[in-house]
Amino acid sequence: MEIDACGLQVGYGDIIVVDEMDIHLHKGEITTIIGPNGSGKSTVLKALTRLLKYRKGSVYLNQKNLQKFESKELARCVGVLPQRHSAPPDFKVKDLVGYGRMPYQSWYKGNSAEDEKIIDWAMKATGVYEMREKSIQECSGGESQRVWIATVLAQQPDIMFLDEPTTYLDISHQLETMRLVKKLNRESGIGVVMVLHDLSQALEVSDRIVVIKDGKKYSEGKPEEVITQKMMWEVYHVECEIVWLKGRKAPLIAYKEIC
Amino acid sequence: MHTRTVRKKCGVLRMSIVLVVLLVILAVLCAVSAAVGSAGYTIVEILQRTFEEGSNPVKVIVLNLRLPRILLAVLIGASLSSSGALLQSVMRNPLADPGTIGVSAGAATAASTILLLIPGMTGSLPLFAFAGAALACFLIYSMAWKGGVDPTRIILSGVAINSVLGAYTSLLQLLNSDSLSGVLAFMNGSLSGKSWYQFKTLAVYCIIGLILSFFCIKSANALQLGDEMAKSLGVKVNASRIFLSAVSAFLAASTVAVAGMIGFVGLVVPHIARLLVGSDYKAMLPVSIVLGADILLLADTIGRTIVPGMEIPVGIVMAVCGGPFFLYMLRKKGGNYGN
Repeated sequence: MEIDACGLQVGYGDIIVVDEMDIHLHKGEITTIIGPNGSGKSTVLKALTRLLKYRKGSVYLNQKNLQKFESKELARCVGVLPQRHSAPPDFKVKDLVGYGRMPYQSWYKGNSAEDEKIIDWAMKATGVYEMREKSIQECSGGESQRVWIATVLAQQPDIMFLDEPTTYLDISHQLETMRLVKKLNRESGIGVVMVLHDLSQALEVSDRIVVIKDGKKYSEGKPEEVITQKMMWEVYHVECEIVWLKGRKAPLIAYKEIC
Repeated sequence: MHTRTVRKKCGVLRMSIVLVVLLVILAVLCAVSAAVGSAGYTIVEILQRTFEEGSNPVKVIVLNLRLPRILLAVLIGASLSSSGALLQSVMRNPLADPGTIGVSAGAATAASTILLLIPGMTGSLPLFAFAGAALACFLIYSMAWKGGVDPTRIILSGVAINSVLGAYTSLLQLLNSDSLSGVLAFMNGSLSGKSWYQFKTLAVYCIIGLILSFFCIKSANALQLGDEMAKSLGVKVNASRIFLSAVSAFLAASTVAVAGMIGFVGLVVPHIARLLVGSDYKAMLPVSIVLGADILLLADTIGRTIVPGMEIPVGIVMAVCGGPFFLYMLRKKGGNYGN
């Protein structure tokens, strides 16, 4: 399973948000897209998953043109957790996760025994199985994010796209979500593509990082090769030092003092 | 696994209990509605006399006047509630009802034109009202179309087109203020003087519409998760939105054509159903349908009996009783929904 995008151009109305974008994604890897606000990170993610139409270029999923996919067929290959999502507050956790099985069902059928098994698996993998009877409104922010990830997981996609999965969460829930993503990737080999704002987290969890600036790809590669003092200045206009601490696999970013 | 199936059955059980209770209420209401009126009978009397050989006044009144009206109220209540429930998911807006997509304004425009300008064609009023409703709805959707249908754009173009049509209707009424009674009856939705003929016509349309609405359950549920989520689950969002809107416009337009504009049912009933069984359309839609039938029949029965010798249009009863009741429900169980 791989995704190949070439010369992608995406825009709304007269505005071109993303241009000349080449991206190559592999199954089994965690790829993180970073960049300043408004640089087009989410737009790239949406174009790659057909939530948005692209104007130029091409996207191939397993050598098959993205436009040629049936809606449900695509939903069985890629799962997306959009930045904005909502569910009626009284929906139960297990029912919401159950929606992940929609791409496998015809319009009149309910869950089969196989579906139930996969729903249970997705809930166990994300640690929400114990609260399956709770309603969404009873879940905390971190819990509900795990429930949504379980929903995407129940789609059994080869690659899971997460658009800012940690925004609006406090630091402990952010770390918990990142740990979960890493665990899912390691245990079930699912590919992950996500947009993140926290660069330290990106450094630690990603296999590859793509930096986007003003709708164009600035650089791409292994985390420590991409996140450098130079990149931080050129892309974010932030001064910092990249610090290696003893006993840690990934370096830390020490920003210049605020005042 | 075992507890899971048990729990699942609990949800189904709750819906079944609610449905059974509502159906029992419906049966009782039908019986009461057949018995009360300007000539009151006991249920026993009705049962005895209607099965008698030959003609008698009880039989004529109950079978020819009250029964078709009861059945019409049931059909209309069911259709309007189902229509409103579907639209609330299409728009992802709890305030959506058949009026939002222009059904009421379109029908009112057509009806006022016929009644005030071409009274010779009053006989085909239902046909024109239906066409007017469908046309207004089509207009709103084509104005809102921009590479897809976005709920906000539907609501906004609905507001614009509704106001233009409303202005036209008001102007017509001002210019023809001497012959308004027919128009007023239409605008306030009345079941007065309806017979088996109207019932038969409406039954065909409503039953088709109600069956179609059951096909909408899955997409209605998916649309509640937001467009992007629904799309990434393989739902064709635009196509679903248009299909759901078409079904609900069809249902609402059919009722408007026969009984005029009955407001509030499509808005309120789905909310009460949601408070009773939750937001899952698998339970919410059937409950809405039966509850709508209950409520409209109750409103019509009250309307024709509360003031002796006078009929209050069901649309007015609906608005007067429905509003406060809705507020009561919202305050009592509001924690579950609407925040």
